[in-house]
Formats: sequence, C-alpha cells, structure tokens
Amino acid sequence: MRLAELNENKEAVVSALSGDNRFISRITSIGLTPGCKLSVVKNDKNRPILVYSRDTMIALNRKECEGIEVTEVKE
Amino acid sequence: MSNKTTIALLGQPNAGKSTLFNALTGMNQHVGNWPGKTVEKKEGSFTHNKKEYAIADLPGSYSLTANSDEEVITRDFIASGNADVVCILADSSQLERSLFMLADYAGITVPCFLLLNMADIAKEKGKNIDVKALEDKLKIPVVLLSANNKKEYKSFYEALEKAVTNKTCLDSSRLEDAYSNLEGYNELKAMIPEGVISNYSSSWIASKALENDSVVLAKLENTMSADDYKKVDDIRNAVQGAVLTGGAKFAWIDEILSGAVDSKKENVSLGKLDRIYTHKFLGKPAVILTILLGLIMSFIPAIPIMGVGMAFGSLRVPVAEALTSIGAPDVIISLLCNVVIQSLAFICQMLGFVFGVTLIFGMLEEIGIMARVSYVFDNTMAKLGLQGKSVMPFLVSFGCTMGGTAGSRVIENWGQKVLTIALAWAVPCGAAWSVVPMLSTIFFGNGVFVVIVAILITMLLHMWITAKIFGRGLVNAENKYGMIMELPPYHKPKWGALFRYVLGRTKDTFLRVVTVVMLVCVVFWLLSYSFVEGSEPILFRIGTAIEPVTKFFGMSWELFMAFIASSVGKEGALGVIGALYNGQNFSGAFYEAMGGGGVAENLNELLAANVSKPQALAFIFAITFNMPCVVALASTYQEIHSAKWTAKIAIYYTVVALILAMIAYHVGLLIW
Ligand SMILES: Nc1nc2c(ncn2[C@@H]2O[C@H](COP(=O)(O)OP(=O)(O)OP(=O)(O)O)[C@@H](O)[C@H]2O)c(=O)[nH]1
Repeated sequence: MRLAELNENKEAVVSALSGDNRFISRITSIGLTPGCKLSVVKNDKNRPILVYSRDTMIALNRKECEGIEVTEVKE
Repeated sequence: MSNKTTIALLGQPNAGKSTLFNALTGMNQHVGNWPGKTVEKKEGSFTHNKKEYAIADLPGSYSLTANSDEEVITRDFIASGNADVVCILADSSQLERSLFMLADYAGITVPCFLLLNMADIAKEKGKNIDVKALEDKLKIPVVLLSANNKKEYKSFYEALEKAVTNKTCLDSSRLEDAYSNLEGYNELKAMIPEGVISNYSSSWIASKALENDSVVLAKLENTMSADDYKKVDDIRNAVQGAVLTGGAKFAWIDEILSGAVDSKKENVSLGKLDRIYTHKFLGKPAVILTILLGLIMSFIPAIPIMGVGMAFGSLRVPVAEALTSIGAPDVIISLLCNVVIQSLAFICQMLGFVFGVTLIFGMLEEIGIMARVSYVFDNTMAKLGLQGKSVMPFLVSFGCTMGGTAGSRVIENWGQKVLTIALAWAVPCGAAWSVVPMLSTIFFGNGVFVVIVAILITMLLHMWITAKIFGRGLVNAENKYGMIMELPPYHKPKWGALFRYVLGRTKDTFLRVVTVVMLVCVVFWLLSYSFVEGSEPILFRIGTAIEPVTKFFGMSWELFMAFIASSVGKEGALGVIGALYNGQNFSGAFYEAMGGGGVAENLNELLAANVSKPQALAFIFAITFNMPCVVALASTYQEIHSAKWTAKIAIYYTVVALILAMIAYHVGLLIW
C-alpha cells in the first residue's frame, strides 16, 4: 500500500520507492530506504505527512510521497 | 591564503554547521554569493595555536548527489583542492540518519574528520557512543561534543590538528565491498579510470553514475568513447541505482555503529506544543499567533534603541538654530540637519526594530519553532514557490518592511529568500497604514473601508503576480518540489551566542544601510534643494515638465513629487503635498514630516480643493505599493547582498506602483 493510506500510529516497512532521480536521491538521503521501519505520527489532509524513522521526525509533502510503498507491520 | 589551512564544513541540515561556524569565527565572517550562482557563500577565519585557519561553510542539503546548484558547488569546491581538510558533521542523537553524509563522502580522497554534534542530547536520550571504536573503524579522528558549548572545543581543535598533520582519509573499503554486491557496480567501476575528477575515487564516481547523477554522467560522456558510454547508460538504466546504493550506505552505517553505540529504545509521540502546531484546525492560528507574539516581543529589545534614534533626531532643531546663530550658510545647515542627522535618526529607529526581530525570530529558529511554521504553511506557500517559513517575513512586514527583511534570514535557500523579500515589499507597512486610512477618510469618508479591502486584495494579487515574475529566475525546479524535511526536536536557545551573533549582524546591517541611505538621501536632497535664492529645485522643474505624462497616471506634478518622496519615506509624503499646495518649500516640509512633525494644518482643505477623488485614489495606491522606504531598500541589499537583484526589485516596484495608480485612476474616473 501507499504510505499515505497508512493510518496514524501504524508501523510499516518501506517496500519500494518509485519516482524521478531527484526524489529517489532525496528520500534515500533522509533515511527512507527499502527495508527501513517507520511509524506514521500524523496524517491529515492538506498537510505534509509526519513519519518517524531512524530516530528522526520527517515531514513529507503528500504529493511527493506517492512514490513510497510500504507494508504494514501488525503488532 | 597559502599558509592558511582551509577547513570545509559538510553536514546535513540541523547538524549544527552554523552553530560551529559562528562559534569558531565570531565576528570574522563574511557572507556573499558563490560566483554566478544564486547560492549563499559563508566564509570566515580563526586562529588557534598561532596557526591561521580559513573556514568555508559548504552549501548543500542531505547528500552529495547533484540535485541542485548547492551540491554541485560543494563537490566542485572539494574537487578543486581548495579544502585542506573537510569536517563532516553528524547529529549524534540521530546518528543512523545523519551519518548518511559521511557515507556519501566515502571515496573522496580529501582528508577529513568526523564531528558528532549534540552530545548533550544524545546523552539525555541515553545513547552511549564509543568514539575510539568509531575512530578505529573509520580511520579518521572522531570528536563527540556539543557545538553550542564553546568549553568543549578543545577536542575539536585536537582532531582538526591531527587530521591536518596526518592527512587522515576515511576508510571506505567496507562500503566498496557492499557496493560490489550491487548489480552493475563492478562493471561500471571497471570502465571508469582513476582521476576522471580529481580527489574523487573511481569507486565514488561509479556509485554516483549508478545513482544517475547528472553531473557525473555528463563528465563520463565527455571522457569516454560513445560505445563505452552507451554501456554505462545500459547498466544504470537496468537498475534503480540510488535505491541500491542507499541501502548499501545504510547497511555500512549500521555496521559502523554496531558495537560502537548502544541506545535505549524510545517511544515516539508528539509533545504538547507539537500536538497544537500540527493540529488540523488549530495549527494555522497557533502559528500566526506565535509570529504576532514574536513581533510584539521584538519591540522589547527594540524600544531602547529606537529611543536613542529619536533623541538623536530631536537634535535637528537645536543644531540648526545653533548653526544659524553662528551664521553658517543655509546649504550646510540643510545638508547636516536634514540629511545627516535626519537619516541617522531614521536608521537608528529602524535598526532597533531589526535588532529585535533578528533576536526574537533567531531564537524561534533555534528552538525549532520555525520548522513547525514551515510544516504548517508548506501547502499554502508552495503555491508561490516558497517554503512555509516565508509567512513570517510577510506578517512582520505589516509592521515594518525592514523587520520583514531581517526576518527572512531564517530562510536558508538564497533564491527563496530573495523572492520572499520581493513579495514582502508588497505588504503595506506601518508607515503606509498611518498615511493611507487618513487620506482615504479625507476623500471617501466611510468609504475608507472599501479602500482598505481593495488594498488588501491588490496586495494578494500583487504578491501572486510578482511570485510568477520573479520566481522564474530565483527558485529553481529543485525547490519547487514539495517538502521532504526533518522536523528537528526542540532545543533550548543559547542566549549568549545568539546575542553576540545578532549584535554582529546588526552592526553589519548598520554599516551597509548607512552607506546606501546616505547616498540616496544626498541625491534626493541635491534634487530638491534650491541652491540659488528664488530659483526652483531640479526636482520641481522635472516634475512640472513631465506633468503631461504623470497626468496619465492620475497624478498632478505635486502628487508626483510626493510619490517620489514616498520612496524615501512614506511619512514624508504628506508633508510634501501640504507644502506644495501651500506654495512652500517642499523639501523642508518633507524632513519636518519625516522627523515626526505634523503636516500642514489646512491639509484637509488643501487636498479637497486641489485633488479630485480619482486622483486621490491613484495617489493612495501609488504610495501604498511604492518601494517601502530607503531603509528597506538598504536592508534588502544587506540581506541578499546582490546589487542587481535589489535594483531589479526597486525598479519593478516603482513601475508597478505607477501602473496600479493608473488603473485606480481610471477606475475612479468611471465611478465619479
Ligand atoms: N542541545 C544542543 N543543541 C545544539 C547543538 N549544536 C547545535 N544545536 C542547535 O541545533 C539547531 C540547529 O543548529 P544549526 O547550527 O542551525 O544547524 P545547521 O547545520 O547550520 O542547520 P541549517 O542552518 O539548517 O543548515 C540550533 O537550534 C542549535 O542551537 C548542541 O551541541 N547541543
């Protein structure tokens, strides 16, 4: 599923990235690579999504993160 | 330069580069632009153990991949051999992510050392970092410290000296091992000779080629045969290189950290304040409230400085009287009192505000609140090609454009900073608000509200169009992409360091502003002073001569003179009108009004008798959207350090103000 479809407070693992070179480079350099764990902290319409990953709170523009596929981790 | 050792600072945003840079260099720093680029260049120098060091803050964001000018500049600087040693910064409370820059650096052969910043926060979070173990694995000096605590810098200097003396190079062999398991990497590396780009190993170049780095690919295309380059293309097109190498880099980081760092698992949740700022409905009001509070707080440190300016300004009359009594010529008195004293007093008052704004909003930036502002207004401001933070200078500009200009300092990207300032000029400032409602009431009575609403709507349209016009040259495609940003944890501000920094910047601003303001004021004075008894000043002659043209914009020559005067200071415009319609010396009246003196008592009747409603409307729009004032012009120059862009903005505003006046005039003619 797409990252944006994930509800707040859910955990997931990044499964695939797609997009242009710049996007891939930006998103990997901030730490979101396939296999990396993240949790969704905030997911409101019209605001960037907030995710927490590798000890870091990251704000992602909604349109930008359409290219992030995740697999939800069930506790 | 030759006997100086040059250090380059490299690190992801929020790693603490500015903090380190400011602490090391103090007042010895210089901000300019990289030649021909819309990217800010920060350089400084310091001495330690009798040795001189030059230090360059390299621009750039989260990686070394050529996504924008910033990274290209950084890479070229390293390739040129200008840096003797590179200091790579990482945030020790978020080591895993922030070591990415180190991983991206691996393969570059310029000596380096690693600075793990934010030691205090890492400790608080219960992270234990074994510096010795990291040094053994990386083969470079590693320092763990808090950049905001100057007492800890001993270890920094030691690591620096060690890196310089021993020319310590980062051991990248384990990362290369990881790369060699990636599809395509080995073939690529075999095709790339050493030395294609100096100081970059072929393995680094191979990894960047795999990541589709445009600059590296262009370089390869130039040096390789067409057949070989075709192979490179085929290899990189077959894989998602950046995802692969990114994985390898993080695997390498994990390996480096394993055994060297142990930490407690922590739970993530937003703090109370962040729950408000990120709230669906409360977020925006909370941000606006924060900024307005900041604006009010800015007045606390500002008021004493403004007081000094005002006291200085009140010297004007006694000095003039004293000079007259000793029989000094009128030219000298006018120049000294009206230009020198008046401008200095005006500048001082503005600087007080700038000092307050820089201090308070610098503190909000330090704490991390500006990052929240960015988050909340990201969607809105992105429509103008700006980042969310730009909302702050806009709001501050309702008070004073110079304050807004100073506030734009928190915007890291130079192009976006210039665009923000260019748009902030369209926001009517306090001086406009003190003149416009009064004028409107004289002419339109209760219609004043309609005028104000029309002005606000025009402002929004103005900003939107200006963003389109200026955005093209200033904001490159990279920055038009949506936000991918770290929301840093809150930090306690360090008042001492911040205060020193702000004081330094205010001094800088003062020096530069004085030059520009004096220059403009002297020119204005030369044009408006009657040198020969009974003859009219030059400005008067020009004004009356071109009246047929200005009439088209809805302005009689008197109004046009006042419009010109309003680009120096809006408060002065009413003085000029009063004097001209009274047949008095307008330059004297201008300075009188700028100095806070009253305007002609019969201003109401004068205006009603001489100015029609459409003309009044034209004039109101003209002065509202004219260049804010000469001090704002000067501080814009100080902030963006580009005479070219400052001139562009100033000319653009003068022209647009006249166009708006013309539209207002013709709309007025239709109504009345
Ligand atoms: N607690 C703590 N805070 C620090 C330390 N070093 C820097 N900070 C704070 O961290 C924040 C970011 O530091 P900056 O120096 O602005 O970081 P930067 O790398 O220049 O970031 P950009 O300006 O975004 O490039 C500021 O609020 C600093 O006051 C430290 O060692 N300990």
